[in-house]
Amino acid sequence: MRIIAAVVLIVWTSTVPARAALGEPHEAVQLDMQRMKGTLVTRQLSGYTVEEIKRPDGAILREFVSPDGKIFGVAWQGMTMPNLTQILGPSAADFQQATAGPHRRGPLSVHVGHLVVETGGHMRDYHVRAYLDNLLPSGVSEDVVQ
Amino acid sequence: MRWRAWQALAAFAGGIVLLAMSGCGSSSSVSTSSGVTPTPTPTPTPVNNTLPVSVNAGPNNNNVNELLASVTICVPGTSTCQTISNVLVDTGSVGLRLLGSAVTLSLPTATTSSASPLGNCATFASNSYAWGPVATADIQLAGETASSVPIQIINASGFPAAPEACSQGGSNTDEATLGATGILGVGLSAQDCGSACTVSTGPAVYFSCPNSGCVPTTATLQQQVQNPVALFAQDNNGLVITLPALDASGDPSASGSLVFGIGTQTDNALSAVQVYTTDAQGNFLVTFNGQTYSNSFLDTGSNGFFLLNANTLGVPTCSVNTSFYCPASTINYTAVTTGTNGVANTIAFSLANANALFNTGNTAFNDIGGPNVGGIDLGLPFFFGRPVYVAIEGASTSGGTGPYWAY
Repeated sequence: MRIIAAVVLIVWTSTVPARAALGEPHEAVQLDMQRMKGTLVTRQLSGYTVEEIKRPDGAILREFVSPDGKIFGVAWQGMTMPNLTQILGPSAADFQQATAGPHRRGPLSVHVGHLVVETGGHMRDYHVRAYLDNLLPSGVSEDVVQ
Repeated sequence: MRWRAWQALAAFAGGIVLLAMSGCGSSSSVSTSSGVTPTPTPTPTPVNNTLPVSVNAGPNNNNVNELLASVTICVPGTSTCQTISNVLVDTGSVGLRLLGSAVTLSLPTATTSSASPLGNCATFASNSYAWGPVATADIQLAGETASSVPIQIINASGFPAAPEACSQGGSNTDEATLGATGILGVGLSAQDCGSACTVSTGPAVYFSCPNSGCVPTTATLQQQVQNPVALFAQDNNGLVITLPALDASGDPSASGSLVFGIGTQTDNALSAVQVYTTDAQGNFLVTFNGQTYSNSFLDTGSNGFFLLNANTLGVPTCSVNTSFYCPASTINYTAVTTGTNGVANTIAFSLANANALFNTGNTAFNDIGGPNVGGIDLGLPFFFGRPVYVAIEGASTSGGTGPYWAY
């Protein structure tokens, strides 16, 4: 019984909704790392920072941070689709409204306000990228978000 | 009600066809002269390996490029069977998934090593998911039979609701949301998850569902939802998908076939095609406009060519449906597909104005597409007018060991 309780606790903590997401401050990356039980690699590039969190099963979440400390883009690669509600943060409601209705078969490309969300891939290899075009640092293309 | 009656009729007709086909297969027998010791034959008696498929508006009468087939499932080891029509044929996923509302058979359900019900979660690029228990069924496709196959029952009544780790995006719970009665996943893999789910709960594909609730669990390869083709008694190394060529303005519908096996019968020989092997994830390379996209694949379950985005392709998306491109006039492209074996060849494809084509009322198109992330998704339009061979991972074929595509 004790073992089962411990297992349940671990699973519970791994599915707690994160505060970290698109449009949130840089510090939020730490919360995503804890949530994913992943390892973090930080890369400083010209005009922005990439925080790459790798989960033990190989799934990767990249968060793109502007010099003024905002997460302007996120990108996902994994065997399954990510929880976009977590990843899109405050923008999730806009995305859900734009994709309401019957499901399409195939990748999504959603543009609503400043938000762009694109999905792709197939079972065992899914890809997602999302960005807020009003948060892109000057001189940085949305193409870096991938 | 009228629609329900039509569906029941279609399922019934499918059952008759299958019965007739299996009759043909079993009626052919080998006779030997008396007094002569028969020579052992390494190949089984051929069965009918051709399953009809069609592209039409689907059960909701609102789809395009939806490849559909009828699937017969049976209670394992019995002749208690049911034929279910309007099942999406999908090389972008693996395993048979059927809506619980469509399954009338009472199938045995699978359990974990701790005897809890085993739940399965499938996610799709359309940001939707399918959730439900793993059950076991015999599967009949044309004259082929796979015995005791783990399948997913989507939205099964009485099963716990999808846990948060699965409920990502829209839920596929019925024909209205799924756009089909189920999904026949016949991609390059033998299972939906594979080795990752045998050691890690991270992918959140399998769940243990005791009364206290569903939690992620590992699952052995044998417990996982299986590619039914790989479990056929014969013709089990892959399949060939054959669909007709189309007009540029599309066709009202299209009919074709899934031919099971590669190089196992006279109708599935590898001829006049090149073999493109893939990596373990089922990806190969597509080079387009000077860029090479390594996460590229073929997918009958995608209803267009999906590549790049409006900025990088230089083509606008449609104003209403931004998941498709709407060029002012049709654009012709070429790309080079390259297998992990280094085999490379040029393919040609076109992108027409998707809105204009949708307005024709046709349902089968070889020239619609939209944006994609991560690679180039050669969807159903690619399959029209060329046979495409799908070799399952680890399977031995006349063209080498899978996984590979050949066309």
